[in-house]
Order: sequence, then structure tokens, then C-alpha cells
Amino acid sequence: MLILIGVAMLIFIMLRIIPGNAIVTMMGEHANPEAIVRMTAELGLDQPIHVQFWKYITGVFSGDLGTSYSLNRSVSELIATSFPNTFRLAIFAALFAWTLGIVCGIIAAVKKNGILDHLFMGVSLLGVSVPVFMVAMVLQYLLAYKLQLFPISSGSAGLIGYVLPAIALGWNSAGSISRLTRSTLLEVLQEDYIDTARAKGYKQLPVIMRHALRNAVLPVITMMAVQLSSLLSGAVICETIFSINGIGRLAVQAIDGRDIPLLQGTILFSTALVILGNLVADCLYSLLDPRIRKEV
Amino acid sequence: MEKKNIMDAPVLYDEQNTFRGVMKRLFRENKLAILSLVIIAIFVIGAVFAPWLTPYGYEDIDPINRLSGLSKEHPLGADELGRDVLTRLLYGSRISLLVGIVPTIISMLAGAVLGIVAGYMGGRVDSVIMRLADIMLAFPSMLLAMVIMYTLGDGIINIFLALALVNWASVARIVRAETLKLREAEFVEAARSIGVSNFKIMWRHIMPNCIPSMIVLFTLNIPSAILSESSLSFLGLGIEKPMASWGMMVNIGRQYLYNNPELSLVPSIAIMLIVLAFNFLGDGLRDVLDPHLKKQ
Amino acid sequence: MKKFFAIVLAALMLFSLTACSQSNVAVEEAAPVESEAAPAPAPTAEVEEGLLRVAALYDISTMDVAQTTDNYMVPMNIFDRLFEVEVQDNGGTEIVPSLCTGYTPSEDGLTYTFTLREGVVFSNGSALTASDVQYTFERLLTAGGVNDDVPLEVAGAEALKNGEADTLAGFSVISDYEFSITLGAPNAGFIAELTGPAMSVVDKETMEQVTNFGIACEDTIGTGPYMITEWVVNDHYTLEYNENYWGEEPSVKKMIVSIIPDASTQNLMYQNGELDIIDLEYLDSAIVESTYKTNYADSIISGSRVGLTYLAMNANNEFLSDVNVRKAVQMAIDVDSIIASVYAGDAIPESGIIPTGVWGHNDALERPVYDVEAAKALLADAGYAEGQISFELAMDSSSSSNTQLVYQIVQQYLKAIGINAEIGTYDESSWLDLRKSGEMDAFIANWTMDYNDPANIMYTFYGSEEKTKIRSLNYADEAIMARVAAASSITDDAARMAEYQALEQKIVVEDAAWVPLLGNMHLFALGQRVADFVPYWAGYSNFYAKDVVLN
Repeated sequence: MLILIGVAMLIFIMLRIIPGNAIVTMMGEHANPEAIVRMTAELGLDQPIHVQFWKYITGVFSGDLGTSYSLNRSVSELIATSFPNTFRLAIFAALFAWTLGIVCGIIAAVKKNGILDHLFMGVSLLGVSVPVFMVAMVLQYLLAYKLQLFPISSGSAGLIGYVLPAIALGWNSAGSISRLTRSTLLEVLQEDYIDTARAKGYKQLPVIMRHALRNAVLPVITMMAVQLSSLLSGAVICETIFSINGIGRLAVQAIDGRDIPLLQGTILFSTALVILGNLVADCLYSLLDPRIRKEV
Repeated sequence: MEKKNIMDAPVLYDEQNTFRGVMKRLFRENKLAILSLVIIAIFVIGAVFAPWLTPYGYEDIDPINRLSGLSKEHPLGADELGRDVLTRLLYGSRISLLVGIVPTIISMLAGAVLGIVAGYMGGRVDSVIMRLADIMLAFPSMLLAMVIMYTLGDGIINIFLALALVNWASVARIVRAETLKLREAEFVEAARSIGVSNFKIMWRHIMPNCIPSMIVLFTLNIPSAILSESSLSFLGLGIEKPMASWGMMVNIGRQYLYNNPELSLVPSIAIMLIVLAFNFLGDGLRDVLDPHLKKQ
Repeated sequence: MKKFFAIVLAALMLFSLTACSQSNVAVEEAAPVESEAAPAPAPTAEVEEGLLRVAALYDISTMDVAQTTDNYMVPMNIFDRLFEVEVQDNGGTEIVPSLCTGYTPSEDGLTYTFTLREGVVFSNGSALTASDVQYTFERLLTAGGVNDDVPLEVAGAEALKNGEADTLAGFSVISDYEFSITLGAPNAGFIAELTGPAMSVVDKETMEQVTNFGIACEDTIGTGPYMITEWVVNDHYTLEYNENYWGEEPSVKKMIVSIIPDASTQNLMYQNGELDIIDLEYLDSAIVESTYKTNYADSIISGSRVGLTYLAMNANNEFLSDVNVRKAVQMAIDVDSIIASVYAGDAIPESGIIPTGVWGHNDALERPVYDVEAAKALLADAGYAEGQISFELAMDSSSSSNTQLVYQIVQQYLKAIGINAEIGTYDESSWLDLRKSGEMDAFIANWTMDYNDPANIMYTFYGSEEKTKIRSLNYADEAIMARVAAASSITDDAARMAEYQALEQKIVVEDAAWVPLLGNMHLFALGQRVADFVPYWAGYSNFYAKDVVLN
């Protein structure tokens, strides 16, 4: 909670030092000067900054994030309409990344130094190094434009429209997850109890599934939580390229339109999400690993 | 001078942590890291000698040759204003390398100082610094960088600041953890018992021992800074036009993907190559310098 | 294992290289057939009949014209005006009756009596009467006030606006279908001004009941051919045919405007048949040239743009205050070459302030001849050394790449006559702030007409000292500015036109205060489902959906 207030304050202060008059941009080139002066007063932009902040922060706690200048709606309403789209995108991307990452990681660990290991790890390093927009562009160009398998803009296309953006967004995370899964699994596989299980005559796969994976999954879960933040960051780009009406695109539009309340709202909201994600990860962690519970 | 400091205090990890020793082992154990070094060197040479390597300037427009494709005059094509893509790529590598290195140095220095102070002093100092770090870490990094760029306006100095502000917190966290361990080390306690001042202990004993892991962190933070800059530029927030940046080139080139894929592909590949190279180098250095980091 | 990475890396580099070269081979192969234009892209999936799919870069902020000066797409389609401008087959424009069937001006040119069309109802069934028009005028003055230029001309408007009166004195309702308007001063352009989207007529009864006009679809009711049925903010909005519409039933029954902020995505969508009309203004002219003119040449519609691109010079600048320098600048720029290289020929050179297509435009006005030597000689005679003159060309970083290219070309032209023009880049709102402070040295910008009358540009730029200051022109001649302000009240058309043209001559030719550049065409590309489309007369990106004919 304290962090959230700190976050709110930081954004608020940062956004007040900007040059340029947002109202002018908002009302258009042809608007007359008196109307601009009146609007400035109406929005309370002529009051001292601490008054503005107090008004804002009390508003935040009652769910009121202010009114967007450029879209003329309440920011909470805008976030409420666009968040489900971002959420959907992030979930699909995460599913893609986690499944692909964990499966490839396991295979690579089991077939250590085999051809599949090299292939997967090579590709995953590539995954970590390729910018999101490049993956998105290539997918859009090849699969949507050339082969016409998917729509170019995902906004109105239903679930099928989310396939490409989810892959583009998940690509980076898939790379890091598979690398992590591989290395933790390799470590666990060297532990004594695995040898014991093997000695008891269990087959390779069940041993991995039952014993090794459970222990290897812990760092992977932490990583997933950390990735929530990078997923949200990447979503900014994917939503722009594939025209998804999500939080990230809202933030970009807020910047284009010098729309301070909207920008404030979107950043605050996504930061709250990241904090929540970290909390959930901590809880999961202690649920899965009793040893941690004492430390926490 | 740095070296002398290292010699002053006991170094925990390796006797061979001199530049020469590291390079030798890198060369012996990890040929790929060497290849990466070569790639980075090529980009550095291209960046430094750009004015002598090409007959054009990065903003020389040539309306007749707009989008003329690959040709003898323009080996990598000409963009929508008729500017030579190869030239812009070379000048763009200046931006990318600077943006990779400068903010990383700033954030490393700030993060290291704050991390050591927080870890060593403990108590209130520690909690204030770490709360601040928590706030910074709670932001989705891309969105935070966007807000900072929005506040400060376009320009390369502002990118440095934005990326440094975004990254110092994670550095501080890692360095603090390291410091906490070192604080209990015998040689530190010994120094304390003979009345060496806190400042001296931090500067002479703890700092040098953090350097190996900081070098690794440094190499690994560079590619992420480069990726961040390219994403920001891709969204139109970045250096001032008409300067060239790879991310900006990709963004503008995207419109011409159909007839002139070189406009967006060439800078994308450049980004990918340099990021891969730094990642490989970082991995290699980590293996050599700081084996225990690998587990984290 | 590391070796394998190296192999993957090498393979990847190879792959990307071949990908590059392959695609270029493809381009070269495609080149010879470029004369045969491919048909417009067809949609891959079945599309509902009567549906028009278009895209916009930004969402609108309101559907209420009292709150905006540019979000006109919805108001244009769901409301009607008293008169409309119709584009003729020959490309000319004519003012035609819409909600009004006719008018009679009084002798002194101050009072107009209008006849309202009978039997018109709003989409919710409420009848249109003269009191609705009265309400429309009064509302623009009292609510919002962003768009009150036109009603402000009516007698008693100031009093209503300041709260000194409750009604608009100059507006009198004679009967349900007759009303008269008395102006504060004669204005020959008044009827033309009534065609502007700002003058959309709303229903008094509905307005008194609803609470969320301009935002909620069910509250935003007009007499136009369409109704707004859905608006998902930042995603899309939908217009559907209004069964109560008084005019001819349009071919488009439903229009979905998707918000696609990314022009590259719009470009790909059009090519994949996901859009029926694309506004090529959003794209770069180079892409229009390389892709659209070669592949979809037969699908391009060219709308006239009633407006122009100009170079403004600040008379307060140390060097630009000298008329010789300004004349040299006028002579230094080869507009024809800019049109050929930047606009691929889709533009016409402009020679004055009043753009081609506007009433009062002077065809006979000659633009300064491009002559580098003469310009140099002029500067030398005025006592300037080469390189002595320098000023900043301030550029809005959000301007289109075409405009940016024009900046850079102009910079090179000026260099050729020994003037150093530094291009300074500003973000949009800093740029506006600087310009409005009157301190900007010089800049290049576009103006698109709001209504078809020379006052819209002449008065806005040269009407008063304040007006030339906020355009960073700082024009000095007060007598001329007074004449510009007075010109709109001349009632005799011929005399008024002569006055505007004389003023234009003085400002552009004698004082060289303004460098006219060009007016570029507004191009749209049509998908296979669209048979015909007439863009709005002034060349807006917004258009009337009823002017689109589907196959």
C-alpha cells in the first residue's frame, strides 16, 4: 500500500513538470483562447500542486482516477473496458510461454547435450535477444499478410486475433523460462533423492514428473511473477502493432495526446497489477515450499 | 588505480581476475564469447568511424532515390526520405552503443553505491533506500521509461536518464545482497575491529569484492538497455529527429515492409546481433568470473 | 554446446540475408508488370451487406460540436446543417439547401429570413421546428463555447454569452417553419458559414431531457441519415441508417469506424481487404507512390483539398523583418520540384493566401518565379554577406513525413541562396506554445478551410494584431489588418472579392509576408466493395457515409 502511494506520488510529480499546454492540444487548433482559459480553470489545473495531489489521491481511493482529456471519459471506465483485452493477451502469452518454455526446458534437460538441447537452447537465447516488435512484425507479415491465416488487426476479430500477438508477446518469456527450467532441473536431477528414486527402479519420465519437477518449479514460478512486469511492458508494443484496445495502447495514446489523467491512471493501475502479481507469487511460493514459510 | 584497490583487500573469488587472466580464460573456455567480442568491436568501429566509412551524412536527403531498393550507391537501400540506410545504420550504432553503455554505467554506479550503503549500514538507511528501490521495481519498466521520456521530452540525454532511473533499483538490490554476505566476512570484521572507518571499509573492502559480479551485471544490462531504447524509439519516444536510431528506423520502415523490407529488417537484425553478442559475452564472463551467480 | 550456438547464429544471419535478398528479387520481378494495376483487395471473409468498414487513427472525444473543433466524423453523419456544400461533377462546389429550403436576405444585408423544410423528424421521432434551430444557436454560445464563431456574429450574441441576456436577440422564430436571423454586421459569407459541421442542428425537446449528450449514443439524436448505435471507446463506433431520415436512402446502411492508431497496420489491413476505404493521408507519400499507385492505381480517389501548405515568416525576426530577405525567400523555393519529388505530382502550386477552390481565389495571381541568381542578387544588394542570414525553421515533430521532407528541401533551397535555416524540432504542444507566443522565426504548416469563404483564412491570419501574433507572423501594417477585418461585411460580392484580392496582392506580392507553397490532393483508396466515393469538399479526413456507394 505504501509503495502504491509512493508510486502515485512519483508519477504525479513527474507529470506536472512537463512543458506544453495539454489543454491546447486537447481542444484543437481552431479553438478560441477564452475557451482554453475556462477549461483550464474547470479542470483545476490553475491550483497549487499539493492541492491537486490531495484531490487526486483521495479520488484514487474512492476509485476515481479523474477524467481523460483526450477521450473525455472517466479514466476508471476506460481502464475497465481495456483491461480485459490486456488480460486476455497476457494470459494467452503466458500460457504459450510457460507451456513452450517448460516443455522445451524439460526436454533439453533430459536430453542434455543432445541435438534437441542445443537446438532449443539456441532458439531460446534468440528468443531472449529478439525485440518484441521484430517478432510481432515478422508474424504479422508472414502469417497475417502473406498467408492470410490470421487477421491483421486483432481488435474486432475475436479470439483468433489474439494468436499472433500472444506468440509475439510470449516469445521472450518462453526463452527465459526454458533456460531456467533446464538449469534448475539439471541441478535437481543431480540430487541424491533422485538417484534413490532411480535406484528403486522408477522409470526416467515419472521420476522427472513426480520428484524433480516439483522442486524445480519454484524458481520458475518466481520468474513467472517477475515476468508479469515484462509482459505488461511488451504488451504496449504488441497492442500497438496488432491494434488491441488494451492498457498499453491506452498509455501510448495518453502520451500522444498529452493526456495526463489517463497516463497517470494507466501507470498506476499496471503498477498495482505488478505488485499484486508479486504478492501472489510469494503466497504460491510459500504454499509450495513449506521451508520458506518459516523464513517469511 | 582500480587494480591497486583490488590488490589491497583480499579478493574472494579468483586470483586471475585481472583483465589479462579473464581474457585468457574466456578465450580458452568460450570461443563464442570471443566471437561476440569481435561482433561488438565491429559495431564499435562502425560507430566511431561512421563519417569516414560512408560518403553520406545521416540526414542527407535525396528525394529522387526514395525507397530505391538495394543498389551500388545505396548498398542497403534508401529510406522514405532518400537517406542511405547503411549510413543511418552506422550512425545509429552510435546511439545504440551509447544508450547501451552510458545509462548502464550510471545505473551501476548509483545502484552499487546505494546497495553497498544500504547493505552495510542497515537500519533506517537500508529501509529508506530499499523502499525507494521497491517503488521503482514495482513499475513495469517500459511504462516507467515512457513516462520519464514524456516528462523530459525527446533527446539522447533524456534516454540516458530514463534508462538509468529505471535500472538502478535492481542493481542496488543485487549489490546489497552481496554486501550483506561480505559484511560478515572475516576480513571485514577484522578491519572493523581495528577501527577502520565505515567509509573506508565500504570503499576498500566491500566494493572491490563486488566488482566481478558487477562486471557481469554490466554486460548483461547493456543489451536490455539497448532493447529498451529500441522499443521506446519504436513507439516514437526517443532521440530527436533527424538523428538515426535503430528502433526508430524499424518503426518508420514498417510502413514499407511490403516493397522495401530492408528498411525495417536491417536495423532489426542489427539490434538482434548486438543484443545476442552482449548476452553471449555476459554469459561467458559470468562463467569465468563469478560461477556462483549462475545459480541465482 | 557453445559451438552449436555459433552455428545457430551463423545460420540465422544467413537466413536473414537470404530473406532480404529474396524479397528484393521479388520486387524486381514485380517491377515490369507494374503498369497493370491489380484489382483492389477483396475481403477474405464474408462481409455483411451494406456495411462500410473504415479506420481512424484516433478515437473521437465527443460527438458534440460544442466541445470540439475536429471530431466531426459522427456529427457530420448523424446531424444535418441548414445548408450543405455539394461537390459538383466538374470538381467545383455549390451551396445547396438541406434543413433549410431557402432564404431571403434583407436590403441592408443584416437580416436573413429562412424557410425550414417541413416534415423532418429526428431519429427519435421528434419533429424539427424553428425553435430547434434557435436552441442550436443559443447552445453553441452558452455550452462549451469552443465552436461559437458563427453564432457570435448574430446580433445580441455577446450579451447571451456573458449572461446579460437569456435569449439570442438577433434570432426570431416567426412560425414553426420560418425564422429570421439578424447579424451584428453585414457578412456576405454567412450562408457559407452555416454549412460548417459546427452548425449541426440538435433537437430542443430531446436536449432538455437527456443528460449525456455527445457521449451516450441513445442521448445523441439528430436528423441525419445515420444514428450512432454503438461506441466502444478507443476501439470502434458504429453508425446505422436512420429509418426516419428525410432524404434519399443511402447505399451504406451501416458504418464501423475502427480505431487503428498505427498507420502501418491500416495499410496492411487495406491490402488484406479488412478496410473498404483507407485514407492515404495517414500514410507516407512514398508508400502511396510505391504500393498504391502501382498496385491499386484504379482504386485511388482523389479529393480536392481546399486549403494550402505555406511558409510563415515572423516579421519581428532580425532578418525576416527586411522585405528584401522575405522576397528572396519567396524566390528561392522551387515549388514545382517539391510537388514532383515529395507529392509525386498530387498537388498544385499555390500563389496566394486564398486557396484554389475557395470563393474569391485569384487565378490571375502569379507566384514569385523560382530564381536563385535573382534571389542572391537581391540579398547582395540589400547588403547581406553570404551566410550572414540565419533563422530557425521550427518543426512540429508529429508532422507527416511529407511535411518533414518539405522542411528539409526548403532548408537546402535557402542554403543555395546563402541563408542558414536551422530546423528546430518541437513536440506538438511545445510547438503550438512557441507559435502562439509570436516568437517562432519561421515554420511550414497547412490550413484546411472550415467553410468556403475567404474570411476563414484571411481573417484568421491577418484580421488583427493579436491574430497575426498567435500565428507568429507579426504582420506590421495595421491599416491592412483593419481592411481585412472590414472586408467580411462588404455585401456586394464583386466588391468584396475585389477587396480580398487587393489585400492578398498587397500581403503576398508587395510585402512578401507569406510564402504560398502548394495544395496537395487528399487521396483515398477504395476496396473492391466500394463503387463510388465523394470526399468532403474541404478535403477533411471525415466524410459523409451517404456519399459512398457500395457494389
